[in-house]
Amino acid sequence: MLTYIGRRAVLAIFTVWAISVLSFAIIQLPPGDYVTSYIAQMASMGSVVTDEEAANLRIQYGLGQPVYVQYFKWMRLIAQGNFGMSMEWRRPVTEVIGERLWLTVVVSVAALVLTWALALPIGIYSAVRQYSVADYLATFVGFIGLAVPNFLLALVLLYLGFVLFNAHIGGLFSPELQDAPWSPAKVWDLLKHLPIPALILGLAGTAQQIRIMRANLLDELRKPYVVTARSKGLPERTVILKYPVRVALNPFASTIGYTLPYIVSGSIIVSLVLGLPTVGPLLLKALIAQDMFLAGTIVLLLGIMTVIGTLISDVLLVWIDPRIRLEET
Amino acid sequence: MNEGWRRPRIRARRSALTVALVAAGLCGLVTAGALAQGAGKALIGKLEGPEVVTDPARFPKALKEAPALAALVKAGKLPPVAERVGQDPLVIKPLHEIGKYGGTWRAGFTGPADFWNGFRCCSGPDHLMFWDYTGDKVLPNLAKGLETQEGGKVWLLHLRRGMRWSDGKPFTADDFVFWFEDVYRNKDLVPTPSATLAINGKQGAIEKVDTYTVRYRFPEAYYMFPDVLAGSTDLAGQMFGYRAMGGFAPAHYLKQFHVKYAGQAELDKKVRDEKFDSWVRMFLAKNDWALNPDLPVLSAWKTVTPINTPTWTLERNPYSVFVDTAGNQLPYIDKVVLTLAENLEVINLRAIAGEYDYASRHMDLGKLPVFLENQAKGNYKVYLDPGDYGGDMIIKFNLNYDADPEIGKWFNTADFRRALSLGIDRDQINETFWLGTGTPGSVVPVDTNKYNPGPQYRKLWSTLDVKKANEMLDKLGLAKKDAEGFRLRGDGKGRLRIEIMTLGGQFVQYTQISEMIREQWKKIGIDLQVQEVERSLALKRTAANEQQLGAWNNDGSEHLFTFPLHVFPFELAAVASSGPLYVKWFHSAGTQGKEPEPRMKELMEKWKRAFGVPEKERIQLGKEIWKIAAEEVYIIGVVGMGPASMGVRVVKNTMGNIPSRMYNSPDGKTPGISRPATFYYKN
Repeated sequence: MLTYIGRRAVLAIFTVWAISVLSFAIIQLPPGDYVTSYIAQMASMGSVVTDEEAANLRIQYGLGQPVYVQYFKWMRLIAQGNFGMSMEWRRPVTEVIGERLWLTVVVSVAALVLTWALALPIGIYSAVRQYSVADYLATFVGFIGLAVPNFLLALVLLYLGFVLFNAHIGGLFSPELQDAPWSPAKVWDLLKHLPIPALILGLAGTAQQIRIMRANLLDELRKPYVVTARSKGLPERTVILKYPVRVALNPFASTIGYTLPYIVSGSIIVSLVLGLPTVGPLLLKALIAQDMFLAGTIVLLLGIMTVIGTLISDVLLVWIDPRIRLEET
Repeated sequence: MNEGWRRPRIRARRSALTVALVAAGLCGLVTAGALAQGAGKALIGKLEGPEVVTDPARFPKALKEAPALAALVKAGKLPPVAERVGQDPLVIKPLHEIGKYGGTWRAGFTGPADFWNGFRCCSGPDHLMFWDYTGDKVLPNLAKGLETQEGGKVWLLHLRRGMRWSDGKPFTADDFVFWFEDVYRNKDLVPTPSATLAINGKQGAIEKVDTYTVRYRFPEAYYMFPDVLAGSTDLAGQMFGYRAMGGFAPAHYLKQFHVKYAGQAELDKKVRDEKFDSWVRMFLAKNDWALNPDLPVLSAWKTVTPINTPTWTLERNPYSVFVDTAGNQLPYIDKVVLTLAENLEVINLRAIAGEYDYASRHMDLGKLPVFLENQAKGNYKVYLDPGDYGGDMIIKFNLNYDADPEIGKWFNTADFRRALSLGIDRDQINETFWLGTGTPGSVVPVDTNKYNPGPQYRKLWSTLDVKKANEMLDKLGLAKKDAEGFRLRGDGKGRLRIEIMTLGGQFVQYTQISEMIREQWKKIGIDLQVQEVERSLALKRTAANEQQLGAWNNDGSEHLFTFPLHVFPFELAAVASSGPLYVKWFHSAGTQGKEPEPRMKELMEKWKRAFGVPEKERIQLGKEIWKIAAEEVYIIGVVGMGPASMGVRVVKNTMGNIPSRMYNSPDGKTPGISRPATFYYKN
């Protein structure tokens, strides 16, 4: 087991390095660079950047150099623990991301907890009581949840929240507490703002997880070992929860690889619509503005999270499913 | 070609969002009912604004200050107000009444790129000279006066005695000399000098006469100079400090970050400690009005939490030189809080919900019915501020287009351009997209603009006349049509198909309007293809001469000499261009690019000549320029003088001294031209 983890960890390092090259290359793909997008931004605000000024900016930011030179410069910075300066925010990248990172984690974890807390019991119930009224209801709501785009739901809820409840529009804090230092009142304010984003972010996931849980469990329920367990007189609760549910959980464990990056980035479009100060919109804006170091660092971070998440889910799978054996080659 | 896959993706997302927004706004729209025809026009009030008092006889005898500052003075932490303001205050007569101190102005901003937001509301403005509220006349602002000598070659700028930076240090001629010698002429900070400090390509110089007098010396007469100081140009105050411009800079503060004054070793250490790439980047960041709370400023409010954080906060400058006619030091409002909202929908919805006290930037004209419906609930009032420029939407013909010679030929045929312009039903577009608040017509600015050539030019080649358009196109040799009624190319290569490039997510819905024009042009047999592109791609294609038609607006063109970009091809970096090769020709004095056709050349020459002649002659030249533009239709004007660009204003009823209409222009830093320092809360 330990050698397995060790080997995977070494591979992971190489993967991360490959991701860093790829992420840097991807950011260079679109036409133009930060200066082009800066000029366009100025133009759309009725301001003009002269050609000379543009050339000057390219020199200052080192954008004229070949891509690999820029990449090695960035790597050298990272080796010193400096991920570069965000061109648009004009602050160190680590500060810009760090400020938003843990709020993103709070929102994502809240959404995730909500997803799982709703999806698992409902999924189990609708599998066990297949074709009951409740199953049909869960299926119906589930499909709507899958079909409605999140951002649309977000917009509608925002508007309804304002029309019906006079709620504060978007964001995670009331304006008066935005800059206040942390206090019980501010935490409470955050908790009050959390349900709507968590609900919207969690809903599509919930619908999907219900379907997955239901389908997996239905497969398992028909297997002979369940019949055996039942015929041996085990209480129904134990029969269901101890064996088939455990097996049906496999897909959940294997999706952790994708869950981890999600937790640090959050959903991009929904966060944008709801005005959440999370990493997602930051990435989107960085990509649009071609803010290389910021976008590169976020993509790198997501890559690392995916690698770590995959590692965790591999280990977890081995642990929860005894049928999976390590293959020595 | 990695562009192929980019385009459809971007469009798909935008349109999905649009659908969603329509759905969300629908409830509001349905209840409000469609805005009755002409109802929008009724929201446009009378142009009015505060007045700058230049007559010393009307100056206040004694000065007063905000209670918080008075307390600081009492505690001995701040010098008395008379000492802070100096002997020559900048006196402003508020629009309606003398206001009261206090309150916080809440608004939104979209991120670190939205710095114009703060400059427009809160910088004072800090120009040396500035416009009166009509945007027409140049008056002294931070400077006490400007006088000309030697036939326009020398300009003497008089500073206000005893005026101070926000840290209490005196503001003197040394700050001009420092800027000119050490910032502007430093090749690392400013590799290519600004055109604003030159006449006919020859650079001028800035000298100190005495503590309160600065001399600008130019090799040739530069009569435009006062306008250049007043407009949003490189010499327009600390706003452009982030790119080493501004015309002056706080020498006493910035020297510690300048390579000439700080030791190289010490400076290197600072650069490393603050994680900058170079001293140049650090210097520019330190000289950034929106970014550096420590930067001494001259504006009415100053940044206290920077623009790259979730809240951009500004507080009153205790050394502000602005006072009202009763002697109260301005601003009245203590604090301005701009909260980050990265999505325009959120900003609009917050305004609708009454969460902002005053908002005009980012307000969407298309949501006007929803704004109106919620006026009482949000305790605000909606005002419209139409611009003075002729085109909220214009269409530029790229006269240099050569990738397809036939299309290039037609673009260079005046009657082809005119016929296309006659094929547009501007009234339909105005009703649909401007809710009837715009003015259909050519590119020329509003009739009251001093450069307007006469009312007949508004309609010249700019009314709907399908019959005449068809006749003109037939006569040009485009009479043959295909089965669907579209005109065929002269070279036998099928249908004459032209492309228009648009950008999405702007103040004006260029793509949707272009789609409407596409329908309208079917009647004149022209097949128009609408391409919405992402903005960096737009710039790249324009500069590479790949654009055919480009949709944009001509805001700023009401001051055509300080903002010529949308009058003739002037900048290479434009999202829509009338001819990138002409730009090169113009700036290289004819050594590069392509020589323009005679009338375009005539237009350019008139524009150049205007800088060195007295105002009366300049006005005449301006009129002639607009005449050529309207006659030749290098650029089609669609609908203009509407409130689409930052002209929808949502203001709380509790705010006082709010004009019913204000001059709306980037040059006027609107609402800066209405002096927000005189806005106040009534209770």
